[in-house]
Amino acid sequence: MNNLLIFYPAAVVAVITTLMVILTRNPVYAVIYLILSLCGVALVFFSLGAPFLAALEVIVYAGAIIVLFLFVVMMLNIGRVMNEQDCLRPSRKQMILPGFLVIVLLVETLMCLFAAAPVNPAASSISTKALGQALYGKHYLGVLLSALVLLIGAIGGIHLGRASSCPDTKERSIHAPR
Amino acid sequence: MLPAEQALILAAILFVTGVIGVIVRRNLIFVLMSVEIMFNAAGLAFVAGSALHGQPDGQIFFIFILPVAAAEVAIGLALAVLVFQKYRTLDLWTIARSREE
Amino acid sequence: MSEMIALAASAPPAVVYPLYLQAIIAIVKGAVLLFVLLTLAAYAVFAERRILAFMQGRVGPNRAGPFGFLQPLADVFKLLTKEEANPPFADKWLYYAAPAIITITSMLTFAVIPFGPSDWFIITDLNVGLLFFLALSSLGVYSIVLAGWSSNSKYAALGGLRATAQMISYELPMSLALVGVVLAAGTFSLREIVCAQSGLWFIVIQPVGFAVFLIAAVAESRRTPFDLPEAENEIVAGFHTEYSSMKFALFFLGEYVSIMLLSCIIAVVYLGGWHGPWLPPPLWMLIKVGALVFFFIWIRATFPRLRYDHLMELGWKWLLPLAIANVVITAALLLAFPKLVQGAGK
Repeated sequence: MNNLLIFYPAAVVAVITTLMVILTRNPVYAVIYLILSLCGVALVFFSLGAPFLAALEVIVYAGAIIVLFLFVVMMLNIGRVMNEQDCLRPSRKQMILPGFLVIVLLVETLMCLFAAAPVNPAASSISTKALGQALYGKHYLGVLLSALVLLIGAIGGIHLGRASSCPDTKERSIHAPR
Repeated sequence: MLPAEQALILAAILFVTGVIGVIVRRNLIFVLMSVEIMFNAAGLAFVAGSALHGQPDGQIFFIFILPVAAAEVAIGLALAVLVFQKYRTLDLWTIARSREE
Repeated sequence: MSEMIALAASAPPAVVYPLYLQAIIAIVKGAVLLFVLLTLAAYAVFAERRILAFMQGRVGPNRAGPFGFLQPLADVFKLLTKEEANPPFADKWLYYAAPAIITITSMLTFAVIPFGPSDWFIITDLNVGLLFFLALSSLGVYSIVLAGWSSNSKYAALGGLRATAQMISYELPMSLALVGVVLAAGTFSLREIVCAQSGLWFIVIQPVGFAVFLIAAVAESRRTPFDLPEAENEIVAGFHTEYSSMKFALFFLGEYVSIMLLSCIIAVVYLGGWHGPWLPPPLWMLIKVGALVFFFIWIRATFPRLRYDHLMELGWKWLLPLAIANVVITAALLLAFPKLVQGAGK
């Protein structure tokens, strides 16, 4: 009962703010809507009995990843300069097929959910300790792989960032002395 | 209906919103944000599954999604900065057209 | 004595109140805490001005009331009655929202801080309390960034960009330093972390983690050795250049509340929270927090401002590796001698 009280408002907020993310013109506003949406989803996690993940969602997603978006938007100063191109919406004709596909996808997913609903009356909360034991026990390979992914991301980011610090040419970008 | 099942529906809605964003928006930053929405929706689906079955594995997959999303954003935004410096715009159509010329 | 307190704290509350009564109790506790907090924050400003003046051989504000004790009142009155100047080129909504964000995020965290062993001294004992603190502090970054962006002024934007980079960089070593504590205590709940320190304070087990956390905390609060986001001689006042009157007061308040918040967290996590001989537990907590606030002021009076590249170097090349090494060594020790460390922790 208590969970549902948390769940419904959070879910409604998450849906509306996510819609606003893709509807707003101003990138900074979109980033803020995205933060709100992530907070809504974090609350949904909380109501699902995953408080650890709720905190992780806010710390990592809202606190670190989305800040990067805001940083880039501020750095390129594209927030205030309205892109005229973006104001021109795609024509209605172009929207029919993707819209249809998306609606089919949505309806299909909903049908799947309603037709074969797995039953587990006690959606029990999983303790952080059990989570940690499973993470570093059964899934240790995944931990190593995600460490690798992060390393590759860091290297890629540094490489591209260096390239962007020499604005005019590509040749100088890699071998240029610092 | 259990909250976990409703959370699956919510995940579906969020994912579809992300897909629409990728298709409709022409600004590179918005496309990256929509990809982020999709990542998040997938994570929500994992967590809902975990709550449905009372197993920790779904939550662990969400933990694995986080570094993937972080790396994707780091590289994607670095590329966006490069693209902006080269073309002075983030409009994907303009960029695509100027490649053809 | 302290063991008895720890036992009393770990026992579940004997009486389970009905839901509406719980809500009323929570609201009353929150209101009392808010009142105490705001008063203390106002007096922290006063204490800072007097102590800074003392350390610099000045007198400081001493005219309002005996020893200037009514100075905070005068300050608040002045700020409330000042004219509010909103720049017409600002982004209205975000410009208004930014000071509110930092005040709310830093005040909300006090809900999970235990000031004493009994249920009356903590609003809610969240089982992920430490993560709650980290989450809200990472949301607090947005206040600075948005203030910088929405003011639509060059100085504010520079301050906002600097603050973003600085706070993201220092959040990492801060969280990693806390991981060592979590390993030793075996819990995220702040109250249980304090209970785990009944024997030995974590500053003894985690000296490196403590040092890293302290430095990162000063950087997170954007105070003097690390106050590049608001460096007066370079970028006027940084992100709050365009703010005036009450909205500026909210930023000011947010800064002092977050200093007290960080002092509370350090006291709870490393200095044994309410543990201490003779005096009642909440008083010990207040003494520790007061000492830490004094330490923050002392740092401000002592150190010069860092250069920006030095700031980044300190964060990424010194604090982060130190914090990671701390985590690895703590984990290794826990694996090698589970009894020793657990015994020290519990």
